[in-house]
Amino acid sequence: MGTNRRSFIKYASLAAAGNAAGLRPFGMLNSLAQTTSNYKALVCVFLFGGNDANNTLIQFDTAGYTNYSTVRGPLAIPQAQLLQLGLTPNFALNPNLPEIQSLYASKNVALVANVGTLLQPTTRAQYLAGSSLPTNLFSHSDQQLEWQNAAQSGATATGWAGRIADLISGQYNPGAQIPMITSVAGDTLFCNGAVSTPVSVSPGNLGGATCSEGTAECNAQQTTAQALLNFSSGVSLITEDNNITSNAYSYAKTLTAAVQSVSPLQTVFPANNSLASQLKQIAQIIQVRAALGVSRQIFFCSVGNFDTHAGQLTLQGALLASVSAAMNSFYQATQELGVQDNVTSFTMSDFSRTFQPNSNTGTDHAWGSHHIVMGGAVKGGNIYGKFPTLALAGPDDSGTNGRWVPTTATVQYASTLAQWFGVSVAQLPQVFPNIGAFSTNNLGFV
Amino acid sequence: MVRTAFFAPPRWVSRSWLAASLASFLILLAGCGSGGSVSSGVTGTGAVTVVVNGPAQTRLGTTTQFGATVSNSVNQNVTWQVNGITGGSTATGTISTAGLYTASTNIPSQNPITISAISQASPAISGVLSESIWNPVPVVSGVTPIEAGTTSSFQINVAGSGFVQGAAITVSGAAIPTTYVSSTSLQASYTVPTTSTLAVSVVNPNPGSSVSPSANVQFTIYVASVAAASRLLDQATFGPTLADIQHVQTVGMNAYITEQLATPTTILPDVSVPPPTVCASNTISCEQSEWWQTVLTGPDQLRQRIALALSEIMVISTNSVNSAAVITYQNMLANDAFGNFQTLMNDVTLSTGMGAYLNMINSLKPGNGQIANENYAREEMQLFSIGLNMLNQDGTPQLDASGNMIPTYTEAQVQAFARLFTGWTFQPVGGGTPPKFPASATNYYMPMAAVQSGHDQTAKTLLNGVTLPAGQTAETDLAQGLANLFAHPNVGPFICRQLIQHLVTSNPSPAYVSRISAAFANNGKGVRGDMAAVVRAILLDTEARAGDTDPNFDGGHLREPMLYLTNAMRGLGFVNNDVNNYYGNLSNFSGNLGERPYSSGSVFNFFPPSYVIPGTSTNAPEFALENTATAVLRLTQANSIVYNQITGMTGNLSATGPLGVMAANPGNLVDFLGQIFMHGQMPTNMRTTIVNHISTLTDMGQRVRVAVYLIITSSQYKVIH
Repeated sequence: MGTNRRSFIKYASLAAAGNAAGLRPFGMLNSLAQTTSNYKALVCVFLFGGNDANNTLIQFDTAGYTNYSTVRGPLAIPQAQLLQLGLTPNFALNPNLPEIQSLYASKNVALVANVGTLLQPTTRAQYLAGSSLPTNLFSHSDQQLEWQNAAQSGATATGWAGRIADLISGQYNPGAQIPMITSVAGDTLFCNGAVSTPVSVSPGNLGGATCSEGTAECNAQQTTAQALLNFSSGVSLITEDNNITSNAYSYAKTLTAAVQSVSPLQTVFPANNSLASQLKQIAQIIQVRAALGVSRQIFFCSVGNFDTHAGQLTLQGALLASVSAAMNSFYQATQELGVQDNVTSFTMSDFSRTFQPNSNTGTDHAWGSHHIVMGGAVKGGNIYGKFPTLALAGPDDSGTNGRWVPTTATVQYASTLAQWFGVSVAQLPQVFPNIGAFSTNNLGFV
Repeated sequence: MVRTAFFAPPRWVSRSWLAASLASFLILLAGCGSGGSVSSGVTGTGAVTVVVNGPAQTRLGTTTQFGATVSNSVNQNVTWQVNGITGGSTATGTISTAGLYTASTNIPSQNPITISAISQASPAISGVLSESIWNPVPVVSGVTPIEAGTTSSFQINVAGSGFVQGAAITVSGAAIPTTYVSSTSLQASYTVPTTSTLAVSVVNPNPGSSVSPSANVQFTIYVASVAAASRLLDQATFGPTLADIQHVQTVGMNAYITEQLATPTTILPDVSVPPPTVCASNTISCEQSEWWQTVLTGPDQLRQRIALALSEIMVISTNSVNSAAVITYQNMLANDAFGNFQTLMNDVTLSTGMGAYLNMINSLKPGNGQIANENYAREEMQLFSIGLNMLNQDGTPQLDASGNMIPTYTEAQVQAFARLFTGWTFQPVGGGTPPKFPASATNYYMPMAAVQSGHDQTAKTLLNGVTLPAGQTAETDLAQGLANLFAHPNVGPFICRQLIQHLVTSNPSPAYVSRISAAFANNGKGVRGDMAAVVRAILLDTEARAGDTDPNFDGGHLREPMLYLTNAMRGLGFVNNDVNNYYGNLSNFSGNLGERPYSSGSVFNFFPPSYVIPGTSTNAPEFALENTATAVLRLTQANSIVYNQITGMTGNLSATGPLGVMAANPGNLVDFLGQIFMHGQMPTNMRTTIVNHISTLTDMGQRVRVAVYLIITSSQYKVIH
């Protein structure tokens, strides 16, 4: 299994050899990549912990709001504070999402209602009858993985982005200097393919390692350190770590070289905002896409602590405010780079939370959730999918606490994004083996 | 392990043979054999006689001064001969005109020899003395007992001088069969029943048999090899040190574990009020400083290492828990590390740290339109006791007829436990029952206490058909609820497999897990959940020890960032040099790699036990923190270590420090570092590469820095195996 991580390096080496032989693959690629219209990036913003969608997108009409405030009790946000969506006036956003409200108004943000993990279209009755379901609903770890791998269980070891990279890297990024997928939030299942693996970047630390020995000895030391990575070992984990570390040297060198010549982004990102730091790093990498030789990229970033079992209003409010500000700055950065129509960002999260509050002014783990899609290519200003009936033990409740059975499957949401990105309809089953179980593979929001 | 007993130049003791000297032999009868001394007269008062004076023995390699007294003659001059040859010969020894005899190299074929003094005035008259040539007195300068493996048999190498064929090494006065190597080297084999300090000397044979002064030599029966001792310490502590390696070698692994099990907890003190200036704005940093100090310097290494593992299974985080509660929680984990698992379950459940983190504290029975907070109930089952799926005792999942895993609990059972855990709040500072729910004052230092009015007293259906009746107190519900979980057969394999992953290997075989689950189920005395028995079984299991003799045994786990830092600090002898004795800056370094003490981003720990390395099917939890970004950051951290840039800590890697002195011989330096960092099992190609590299450097400090850097950045080191 250890050879998988090497596959990318082999690839890059071949490309470099071609360049030396006068075939100029990079020149061709660079001009290709610089053609903005041919560049596309997907940016996944994962809200770890399970964002409470019920307090993210709220029914604003009188009947809807009354129902909401009655059930939610102490967790109901006063109607006057909600941010009404003018294009869909029966709905409003959490008051901490003003930038998202504006982007929705300018049709650069769409909302997708009640998305969640499913194996097939499922009703409350089918759920209660024990139809085939994703494993370990309501478990953080499992639902995070199932959002990322679009599979029945977390045991499937490839993410849907990774599978896209497996499928179309060769087509879109031949001779690229780095993998198609970049994570600025560590390795996650989302990014891992069967043969492709992501480059991981620590925000603000694009360059290589610090060495204090002076240039000559630093170079010599690095050569020897890298040589040690080539010694074979009978211990599997050593082999795996050799591969990761070898790639780390390679990618750091590439990224360092790529960012040397560019001017800093002018867009101001909010300070003390982890997601903003990650998105800024993503914008900087998009900025040097030509030097990296990529025309398709997928990025992963994340923000945590959405697991609001207690004191939810304050906690979620602060988190949503940081997400709104960070995503807005990122959109502005894509405008600055002229790629706002080429970059589509979207949220994912473990699950939503119970509509019914608990006795700690919090909510517990639920299922179907509402999500945000952002970008110039997005057909924004609209809510896609079917908004659930917010009734405890009602037609969309899996039980009696407001854990909505999803009316749109994660795999449909992902499939829509993948098609925009460049996966053909014919290729879809290779990335989403289960997509055929659903009536549509494209929700039309982008 | 080779150890050499060196001692100062011998303190010579007087010996009887030294006193037996200066005997004079005077034989007055002429013609009476070669030994006689004969005289013939010249003076008027009597016949001329010659008497030879001197000791009767000379040792090989020494000289003897003889004197001659010529009587009845004015002319006292004599001519000296050995065996009748003037001046002697090489074979018999030589004698000067002044009578100084120099012994031959070997014992002469004719022994004793004859020393003659011939009167020059009366050449027919001579004095004769019979001189015995003796073997030299042996001198011992060093004794090296080399243990054969980890047995009680030793090869004894004795260095010294004056050894002759037939010399024997003596131990406690008794000669043992000895191999003569040279006049400066002898060898013998010897078996000691136990580690002992014994007198070793050398006895040369006759003629003139003599014994060297003895040296006191320690015969240490190392019951563990370097590799075994160092590996155990890598598994059981925050990093091997030379002293600890030698200690484990001496007492053995089992005894070391016994010692550690009995070592009391190093208690983290409360952060003072007001807090020290260094953490005035955030007492978490002082809490973390105390933790680093404890794990780096505390004698209860195994206890603290288990506490770390437990803190990464039953996770709380400073993200939402204050320093007082974290310190109390850490001390509780350390105290309970070798106790019973059920006690640990109870103490975790009632801790304010966990109460604050997963909201059990002040969790109120649900009112109308509410449900009980499920947070602690769900994670107590999913993460802290039984896990999501039914397990076999070997840790593998049970499967139903369709090949699917079998959930351990339902959402309804989560809700039942959620109600069961309601009604607990802060205990009054003086102890006792809180006057109301929730308590009006916080108290993070004591376990939570129940208020019945806050507790949901409806009936609860738990696991395995156990139903708790309505109307029970919070305390009774809690005790019976935890007993219900503790009795679940999943607890052993679920918890033990994770402990194995934290201590020994990411991928234990099912058989290994099964053996430890058995120890969990029954410690041999019929007790379930004995953590001391579990810890010992994990560390001494054949699978844990396989790497002691096979460096390529396919196991091990990645050194997580906090252990990466502590291992380097301990191995290199770094000590704190902060004016406030503040260790908290270490958090910034481990934090760069994704870990700060008690600061996981979620209850799922810094890394999940199920993590699979991308592109493989290899389960390796700590690799969740190892990617192409953090691998580079680890290189930078290694640079900070070798450049002594770990704020608040200092170590001597300079040219004049102990490692710098060692660096004069690159092989010695690399071997020493290999013992500290790689269990003395550094692969040959790696050793050669590093030795060759640093041999090109002329600055001894740079040799040390680069050698350490190359070792600690290697995957061979990063993966504890």
